[in-house]
Amino acid sequence: MFELLADGLLNVIQLKYLIPLAIGTLIGVVGGALPGITITMTVIMVLPFTFGLEPLQGLAAMIGVYVGGESGGLITATLIGIPGKPSSISTTFDGFPMARKGEPGRAVWLGIWASFFGGLLGGVFLIGATGWLADIALRFGPWEFFALFIFALSMVAGLTEESLAKGLLAGAFGLIITTFGSDPIMSVPRFTMGSQFLVGGFPFLPVLIGIFAFAQLMTDIERARSLAGSDASAGQLVNLAVSQTRVVGEILARPFLLLWSTFIGILIGVLPAIGGSAASVMAYDQAKKLSRHPERFGTGTPEGIIASEASNNANVGGSLVTIMAFGIPGDAVTAVMLGAMTIHGIQSGPLFMSQETTLAYGIFAAYLLAHPIMLAIMAVGARWFLRIVTIPKSILIPMVLVLCVVGAYALNNTMDSVWVLGLFGLVGYGLVKLGFPLAPLILGLILGDQIEVNLVRALMTDSDLWLFVTRPISAFLLALSVLSVVLALWQRRRQRRGPTEPDVDF
Amino acid sequence: MKALAWGIAFLSLAGAAQAAFPERPVKLIVPWAAGGDTDNIFRPFGQAFQKHLGQTVVIANIGGASGTVGAREAKAAPADGYTLFAVHDFIHLTYYTGVADTSYSDFRPVCSVASTPSVLTASPKTKWQSIPELIADAKARPGAVTVGATLGSTSHFFPAIVEKAAGIKLKYVSYDGLAQRMNAILGGHIDLTDGNLTQKGKVDAGQLRFLAIATEKRNAEIPNVPTFRELGLDVVYSVTRGLLAPKNTPDAVLATLEGACIKALAEESFARSMKAQGTEVLPLDRKGYGAFLDRVDGENKALAQEVGLLRR
Repeated sequence: MFELLADGLLNVIQLKYLIPLAIGTLIGVVGGALPGITITMTVIMVLPFTFGLEPLQGLAAMIGVYVGGESGGLITATLIGIPGKPSSISTTFDGFPMARKGEPGRAVWLGIWASFFGGLLGGVFLIGATGWLADIALRFGPWEFFALFIFALSMVAGLTEESLAKGLLAGAFGLIITTFGSDPIMSVPRFTMGSQFLVGGFPFLPVLIGIFAFAQLMTDIERARSLAGSDASAGQLVNLAVSQTRVVGEILARPFLLLWSTFIGILIGVLPAIGGSAASVMAYDQAKKLSRHPERFGTGTPEGIIASEASNNANVGGSLVTIMAFGIPGDAVTAVMLGAMTIHGIQSGPLFMSQETTLAYGIFAAYLLAHPIMLAIMAVGARWFLRIVTIPKSILIPMVLVLCVVGAYALNNTMDSVWVLGLFGLVGYGLVKLGFPLAPLILGLILGDQIEVNLVRALMTDSDLWLFVTRPISAFLLALSVLSVVLALWQRRRQRRGPTEPDVDF
Repeated sequence: MKALAWGIAFLSLAGAAQAAFPERPVKLIVPWAAGGDTDNIFRPFGQAFQKHLGQTVVIANIGGASGTVGAREAKAAPADGYTLFAVHDFIHLTYYTGVADTSYSDFRPVCSVASTPSVLTASPKTKWQSIPELIADAKARPGAVTVGATLGSTSHFFPAIVEKAAGIKLKYVSYDGLAQRMNAILGGHIDLTDGNLTQKGKVDAGQLRFLAIATEKRNAEIPNVPTFRELGLDVVYSVTRGLLAPKNTPDAVLATLEGACIKALAEESFARSMKAQGTEVLPLDRKGYGAFLDRVDGENKALAQEVGLLRR
């Protein structure tokens, strides 16, 4: 394994892979730092530019974006108190107070180093566990996959801050969208209304970009005025000089905190459906509960920054394990990553590690190398990234919208995709206005075909429905689904007027 | 001297006018997931093909519904030679079994690429070491032995032919494409599937079992695997893959594509990667492949009727 990894590293260190990786990481850091631009959007925008590259080159670029994006958010989070992306929300809790108390350098670098260590520990897990989980994944029959997807959906519906009913409805709506077009087994046309275009169903990525990027950017435009005020304070360059040894020492002096936050990040990453923001919120919450000075949280304590940033970077490693071993996406970012793999001719799944060993270790190596590259980019550019944040929203949002449309078009070189994007942009915006959470909708959309195919397969293999509850793994996962819904109901009853948690990150 | 220079300039201009196709990358639709056998054949082919075409060939895996989603998209694509379709015998079968409305006659042939014989492959979790054991077991429990298959396609037909020849009853479960069927058979979620020599590595590693090959004679790569003929079952089956273009593609464009394809098939590197996959390179030109398709279409219709899957 170490030999394979060494080969992978030597392979990726070649300039033809290192350059796309570095460029991807840089774009990721910038995208992550820009408030309102999520990692998913950044990945979508970069994807069409990788079409012409070799598979590993393209994937290195995408992994760079993913890793860079997960780290970039901390700059804006600590220095101006606005999370660059949802998963750095909990970094603002302590990062911003610390920066305001006159230690912006310490706050930023604590975050960067915590991301670095968390990410690398996540990488150790990625390399060690992928093969092992692939063996487990092979044991998953259609019953287990069906149960796993149901669990993912119920968990996301339960986690949303809006009402459970709306969460479940949004998930169901996502599933319904996937039933348009030919059925995946016998190709019977459904809801095509005589249109030749609809026979193929709604193309997945344009729908995703529409619902996700458009609907979200529209809400951002509404809020643009309120964000304008804080932009002014970011205009000046901040001095981020700080003793690196002291910062690194501060993190390494808390090994338990670092490991525990990383563990939470990885765990949330491996579970399908919940993304980086749940990881960082949970890690922050855990750090606070386990701390001897919980009262210091929120006032600028280093623990808060370390917990949040270590966990959201470790989360990337965990997510990659799931897409590589199971070949199924857990959320929007990984759905796009999986789409990117398919475009580059890679079928991930239980056999991927053993059949495409070189490529798999190339991906591991790219993931590991993205971290020192991220560190270097931060060292050179952290203070400059704030300047990018001051680009007025009125210029930035249209630019991103245009790139999203270009990306949707480039997927198939057809305008139909753009119309689909437009349609679902409006639908998504309407749903946001009606108070529906988008996360379960997206997950329903991602998993719809898989749920259907696996249900049909299970019934074709054996018409006995009891198998869903008599096969142990399937029964366990279905029990967890019921539990997660019950838990969500119970929690809502308990804290009817309690503070709302941030939305699940997609 | 001056005349010569003009002559060269003129020739190169004429050349430029003729070489107008291809002026941008060509998309090759593979209607199955990446990592399946069709994909494994067309990816090395794409490499060799783009070398002789002088343009990048982008492989687009558009899987789903027994290859018909990709077929439909290829059929609807502009007939300018920039969208090509990687086809195999499924196109006839899915038409006659009523899975799709797309027929091979919606396209024009460019060239055939390769032919892969089918091997009946069993999961190591089953207890059969040979075809007679399988037949005895299947006769004892009719309809209980599961076969992973792309419904209405070649991987459905090959087991159906075996089923008929041996007088047994099998149960089919939908797994689109070889990549998915391999996951299922390695995990023991299905008992049997239509495999081929691309899976030899897994057989050597003891993860799969080849029961019998559907060729006339034994294959030199797997000398221990008997043919169906030896076992008294008249089953000879292979899957031929080729390149099609949308129906109204101009002749000049087709000729360019055909030329590049035939040269690509002669590449040493392509032959080597096909040999490793137990596949025979089959270079038929437009005319030859067209005649081949006509013949196979008739055969497949008869076949669909024979195994009771004809719906048209």
